[in-house]
Amino acid sequence: MFDYYLRLALRRCRQNVPMVLLVVLTMAVGIAACMTAMTIFRALSGAPLPGVSPYLYVATMDGREAVDKDNPDYQRPDSLLMLADAKALVDAHRAAQQVAVAQSLASLGNADGKRSEQAYGLMAYGPALQVFGVPLRYGRPWTEAEQSANAPVVVIDTHVAQKLFGIDNAVGRSVTLGQRSFRVIGVFAPWSPRMQIFNLGQRAGNVMGQDENFFVPAQASLDAGVGPFTSGECGKGAPVVSFQSASVAQCRWIEAWVRLDTPAQVGDYGRFLAGYAHVQHDAGRFVYPPQARLYGTQAWMTLNRVVPDDVHLNLMLAGGFLLLCLVNVAGLLAARFLRRQGDVAIRRALGASRRDVFLQHLVETGLLGLIGGVLALPLTWLGLWIVRMQPVSYADAARFSPGVFAILFALSVAVGLLVGVLPAWRMCRQPPALQIKLA
Amino acid sequence: MQIQPVLAALRRHRLATLLIAMEIALACAVLCNACFLVVQRWKLIQTNSGVDESSLAVLTVNGFEPNQVTDLNARMLNGLRALPGMQSVSLINQVPFGPQVGAAGISLDQGSFTNTIGVVDFVLAGPGTFQALGLKLVEGSLPSADDYLLATNLAPPDARVLVSRALADHAWPGQSPLGKEFWCDKLHFRVIGVVDHLARAHPHDWGAQSVEWTVFTPAQPGGSLAGTYLLRASPDELPRVLRAARDAVPKIAPDVVLDQENSQTIDDLRTDYFKSDRIMIDLLIGVIVTMLGVTALGIVGLASFWVQQRRRQIGIRRAIGATRGDILRYFQTENFLIVTFGIVLGMALAYALNLLLMTHYELPRLPLYYLPIGALVLWGLGQLAVLGPALRAAAVPPVVATRSV
Repeated sequence: MFDYYLRLALRRCRQNVPMVLLVVLTMAVGIAACMTAMTIFRALSGAPLPGVSPYLYVATMDGREAVDKDNPDYQRPDSLLMLADAKALVDAHRAAQQVAVAQSLASLGNADGKRSEQAYGLMAYGPALQVFGVPLRYGRPWTEAEQSANAPVVVIDTHVAQKLFGIDNAVGRSVTLGQRSFRVIGVFAPWSPRMQIFNLGQRAGNVMGQDENFFVPAQASLDAGVGPFTSGECGKGAPVVSFQSASVAQCRWIEAWVRLDTPAQVGDYGRFLAGYAHVQHDAGRFVYPPQARLYGTQAWMTLNRVVPDDVHLNLMLAGGFLLLCLVNVAGLLAARFLRRQGDVAIRRALGASRRDVFLQHLVETGLLGLIGGVLALPLTWLGLWIVRMQPVSYADAARFSPGVFAILFALSVAVGLLVGVLPAWRMCRQPPALQIKLA
Repeated sequence: MQIQPVLAALRRHRLATLLIAMEIALACAVLCNACFLVVQRWKLIQTNSGVDESSLAVLTVNGFEPNQVTDLNARMLNGLRALPGMQSVSLINQVPFGPQVGAAGISLDQGSFTNTIGVVDFVLAGPGTFQALGLKLVEGSLPSADDYLLATNLAPPDARVLVSRALADHAWPGQSPLGKEFWCDKLHFRVIGVVDHLARAHPHDWGAQSVEWTVFTPAQPGGSLAGTYLLRASPDELPRVLRAARDAVPKIAPDVVLDQENSQTIDDLRTDYFKSDRIMIDLLIGVIVTMLGVTALGIVGLASFWVQQRRRQIGIRRAIGATRGDILRYFQTENFLIVTFGIVLGMALAYALNLLLMTHYELPRLPLYYLPIGALVLWGLGQLAVLGPALRAAAVPPVVATRSV
């Protein structure tokens, strides 16, 4: 029966081409607008590190030692810690896993200095690769012994390995970082969080995650003269530190991330963190009440407004627009179907059940929806291309993916059926006798 | 024109009528709110910075040590002033739409966190900067030469400053701000004058009320006032002068690094600062236009269908004496009634949508006058859309009535 209804629907589409075109194009524009907004929204929602970040928490506290250059009020939770505090938190081993990290931007060179590459990376105290789930391709991460001995070791990604050495497996080679030579002990596949999660307080406006090209033990990096990307906040009396300075002893610049698997662990760690901060406050190191708190990755991103409000607003707009298109199409379909009251009445008189009539019309609208979806495909592509051309922080999120294709397909059929339900229901309620008289 | 027969006919097409009305309602809700958002963003973009934007540019260098600042400032000021077309070069810590340098909380008395005024921007400025910015003094006096003190931190420890009128009205409502004092932790300030307008570096990061909460703080070159220079040239020469200045930096001070991103004309900084708002405006206008187009097409489609369906009835009416004008007016009245029904629904919907948006975004309540304007637009759109089909209906000849009855 289905293919018969399909043939009927195709035949009818050919009968009134302008009307069909109007219906199909309206649906296509609505679907495309919605898909464009949804693609961006999807890319910017969900876990920044799938499978890992739901269990990651960042420690925040007011760790200022003296009045800093900025406002004395603690305006919002601050994740930047002094290295000493970060080390203390990591060394306490109170969470399942813990690490302190800071963003760095440094020039990596090969041994003879002929090749070099400007690269972003993380300075870390603790097992950063394990905590963040970085996929190691060759070699190994650094050990605690290497870290405590300030051994000059570094883990790089295949991109840097290719640039400096022309091979992926660069384990055992030497990389110049700052004033020292570092031994490559591991190589990982290119890695970046899906969205920005590190040092959010100072990197407002960055949405997409940074490609991290290397991981290096923090102290060894500082010894070589390579500091964090931004020096964070330095207390009164600290030397004026500039961008990428390694003299950050009096600054708060590093963040502590911990992995906690159960709510009980989260509660315990929260109390441990508050206790630690209070001890520092009571000892007179932290000038202000520390207000220490743990934030889950998602809550931390929301608090720092990583995903711009405009993205949500766009999705709402597109949704409203699609709804409008749907109502419009439903109206047109109702008109289109009602013209055929006569045909339906004859079918009903010849024994077709209401269910048959309903199904027949639903097949027709489903087909129209599908055609709309096919037309929406290039329109969505165009919409995403337009967004990518815009100088917005989330432009990189506007990329077509197979997932998007599947959603688009499902959406267009759903849209076709949804707009058809009301008109089809109206049709199947036609009493046969009266209609035959009219026809 | 009698409404009764129109209503009677509509009752026989309840589904289609309801759908068109719903479409109008949705269009009304989205239209009012989208227009409101456009106007809000537009106001944001129009922010008055209070400075002569078209004549000003900023040049930023970094990578110098604290003990080099006096020498650096002298070399930069002299070197840049020598460039042809340069009207003035002076020191400043931040400009509107550039990076924010001097934001801090201030309070009415020392060390108190209860009597706070709010977070303000301290615009640290060297001699000549007031004139270069083109600020307007509305009360009090300009700083004298002795008021330019060395600042090693946010501001000099005991400064005589000018405040913007907006800040003065907020901190000391109904009083003259002249001679008033305020504190930023241990730094003390006394107000000696009021400037008309001066926007903070990031006007919209601190809420709509505090766009102009700025303290114009005179400071001596050196200390923390170094590395950022305000260039003034005539508007048509400015791009060339800025290019020349950027090129001259390596010769004037070989060991510093030019901050490319923050060495631009204020106009460019402004465009950059508001780019996302501009994109949003374009997008919203696009949505409004497409939405109106879709709605109009829907009305045309349905009206055409109704005209076709009623050809015979139209013919009969013509045959028994209705004029073309009567037929035309019938369809126009019908459309007017449906659209009116939609608008009534749409107004409620528009308000609901506005309330929803208000809970999620910092958005004021939708002003009431948007609703009648939206209604007028939709009535106009409906009449325009139905005109074509209605004219076709009016052209139906009476002879149709005699066929196949």
